Amino acid sequence: MKGRFYAFHPIVNFSYYMGAILLVMINQHPIFLFVAFSILITFHFFNDCFNHMKQWLFFMFTTGILIFLINPLFNERGRHVLFEVMGHRVTLEASLYGGMSALSIISVLMLFISYNEVMTPNKLLFLFSKFLPQFAILLMLTLRFIPLMRRRLDEIAAVQVSKGISVKQGPWKERIKKGMLYVQILLTYSLEEAIQTADSMKARGYGQKKRSTYEYFRLNKKDSLTLLFLVILLSICLYGRFTGLGTLTIYPLMESIGLVPVEYFILLVYALFLCFPLLVEIGEVIRWRLLN
Amino acid sequence: MAFIELKHVSFTYPSADNAAIDDFSLSIEKGEFVVLFGSSGSGKSTVLRLLKKEIQPHGVLKGEMMINGHSLSQDGMPSSQVGFVFQDPENQVVADDVLHEVVFGLENMGVMTNEMRSRVAEMVHFFGAESLLHRKTHELSGGMKQQINLASVLLMQPDILLLDEPTAQLDPVSAREFLDMLVRLNEEFGMTIILAEHRLDDVFTIADKIVLLKNGKCIAEGEPKQVIETIWDSQEQPFIPNIPTLYLSTTKKENRRDIPLSVKEGRNWVQELNLIGQSKENRAHKEIQDKKLLEVKDLLFQYRKEGAAVLNELDFTLNKGEIYALLGGNGSGKSTLLKILVGILKPINGKVTLLDKPLKAWKSLEIAKKVGYLPQNPKIFFVHDSVEKEINDTMQKWNITNQTEVNNLLQRLGISHLLHNHPYDLSGGELQKAALACVLLRKPDILLLDEPTKGLDPISKDSFSKILHNLQEEGITVVMSTHDIEFAAQNATKCGMMFQGNITSENEPKEFFKGNYFYTTMVQRLFRHLPDKEIVTLGEAISLCK
Repeated sequence: MKGRFYAFHPIVNFSYYMGAILLVMINQHPIFLFVAFSILITFHFFNDCFNHMKQWLFFMFTTGILIFLINPLFNERGRHVLFEVMGHRVTLEASLYGGMSALSIISVLMLFISYNEVMTPNKLLFLFSKFLPQFAILLMLTLRFIPLMRRRLDEIAAVQVSKGISVKQGPWKERIKKGMLYVQILLTYSLEEAIQTADSMKARGYGQKKRSTYEYFRLNKKDSLTLLFLVILLSICLYGRFTGLGTLTIYPLMESIGLVPVEYFILLVYALFLCFPLLVEIGEVIRWRLLN
Repeated sequence: MAFIELKHVSFTYPSADNAAIDDFSLSIEKGEFVVLFGSSGSGKSTVLRLLKKEIQPHGVLKGEMMINGHSLSQDGMPSSQVGFVFQDPENQVVADDVLHEVVFGLENMGVMTNEMRSRVAEMVHFFGAESLLHRKTHELSGGMKQQINLASVLLMQPDILLLDEPTAQLDPVSAREFLDMLVRLNEEFGMTIILAEHRLDDVFTIADKIVLLKNGKCIAEGEPKQVIETIWDSQEQPFIPNIPTLYLSTTKKENRRDIPLSVKEGRNWVQELNLIGQSKENRAHKEIQDKKLLEVKDLLFQYRKEGAAVLNELDFTLNKGEIYALLGGNGSGKSTLLKILVGILKPINGKVTLLDKPLKAWKSLEIAKKVGYLPQNPKIFFVHDSVEKEINDTMQKWNITNQTEVNNLLQRLGISHLLHNHPYDLSGGELQKAALACVLLRKPDILLLDEPTKGLDPISKDSFSKILHNLQEEGITVVMSTHDIEFAAQNATKCGMMFQGNITSENEPKEFFKGNYFYTTMVQRLFRHLPDKEIVTLGEAISLCK
């Protein structure tokens, strides 16, 4: 996905995802959660026809269904008994609770899938380098090191196989022994080579002064306005949540599911916040249509 | 006072008996291009490292070092004044993304973003590397990586550039490009450059001053031509590049005028000679039997399903007794081919036949018995922490009991004194030989060598070339991939050029190098304009001119 939303400043992307995850987790109300779920499904469909979600689909729905089922199975609390199976009472409260948890988990997962695509390591690095420069450099080294170790291990395996030391043959005990040997070579070798990397870092003045960062992303006016907009929406929702709106009290006594008038307003703001990337993409499509 | 001044500098590594640098003095003017050369372990790297304060090795340092009037032992000189480029393109990369890599030094210096932007824009443009900026560093070839490393150092705007064998791992074309970049920096920006190198043919033509080191001492120093003349009659003769060697060995002392260094100067000199007849030296060809050891037909290989084919429709035949040299740029598939021949990688399509039996039908231990493989990086070959243990282990594994035979082999390779060392403490040449010993113990019929001369000094290279010939005498067939054209021309019986996953041309060295511009020897370049003079190696040229 390389849409308009992707092109926003990382801080905007990051704020959106953090805010959305927070909202989906704290607004435990069936209607709110259903709205969030629908919006996120539409968002994923609009983006790439569930292309990225596909590989997660199984995991997402099994977790969702499990959570939905487990709660009423172990929890008998509640006044509204739906039915009774072998002396076990299944209550409306427990089922609702399970359903809400399931929807909330699925929504958070969907947000993370999209987060993974939008927040590239580069953007993350940029965000952290401002506040935590040491962490940022650690992240950068790690990003390079993990694939590097993999490639080295492949190389080592290749050479050792040519010598007749293979992990693919022989009894299990032997194989494990040989595997450990590979890892041992990998570690000694990598440590040896890392001395050169350290020299190269020192030679380029690492650790002498306070580091600055090359900013790939500029915060322009549009980004700041968007950020402000998102923050206002989020604040309204949070304020509503803390005054007890937008959440369904189940225990000890279940409220009515229907919304009070102020809650409709909060729901609108809530939906607007979650919809934001979708609105941006739709706006882009319309603009293209108009231009052509 | 000179720009860089070293006065009676001595340096001893901790727990070493001899000084690595011994009473070394050198003065370098601003804007000079200086080349340090000498055998491995002669102290070139140590001198360079001493000049860069941040990476000075630990040890006892005596004498005085001044840069631009500041003593190096005192503070006060900004470290960004001296830039350093290392030998291995891979290991000096820090980031996974080219842009991060390039700005790493600037970020460390705390340069503000706006200034960084303008410096980066300019430098990237100068290097023509716009398209690389958002690539991952590990996708780049060695040559590109080395250019990115250079760019990263240059962004810090140093006055002095120190380079420790920067082209040792590059193919001839990339190495040439890299040197051209250095020449531009030196000429257009007056940057002072100090370069340590083993491949001297090209660098001598561009250097203002060359310095020969031996055992930490400066043996000769001065203008290239002058130094060449002084070391001609000494032990250090192997360091002299081909064209001056040809001149000096064929011209009598009293007739000598200006020693030619470049191909251009050399041609002018050759034109003056009246060359009649053909070279008398015929290569002592060992009869190549027409017995196929290895045969590859219509080979296809790719690392990933959706990726490009690394090898494509490749045919290859190896006859008994050959020394086959595979040449070609970085990433043209040489190493991949070798790995397929030893059965490490499985071809996607095509047939590989080893000794009239499909390679697939061989068990991997049986292949290991017939085919010895020496990787590009011999360090990962070693499992144990000393050479002796490694050798004993190999003996055990292959049921070798004849200790005298093993000792003979070690003697012949000249590594018997290194048995107790840790493999990582050996120099490049020694490491190569130690790994070779382990391979040869199992008496393979075919030896596959992946860039065996990488980072070797001329003396180790000569000894390696002797070893190769001995092996050939014993009936071992060798395939090697190499960037070292002179080495291939001297030793190979057949050369093959890899390009885009295929062996595009294949011939005996004489024919092979005839039409090439880059992939050819200095001597061949010298004589190529003369009709019917097919001269490739120095030996042939010397016998022709005498």
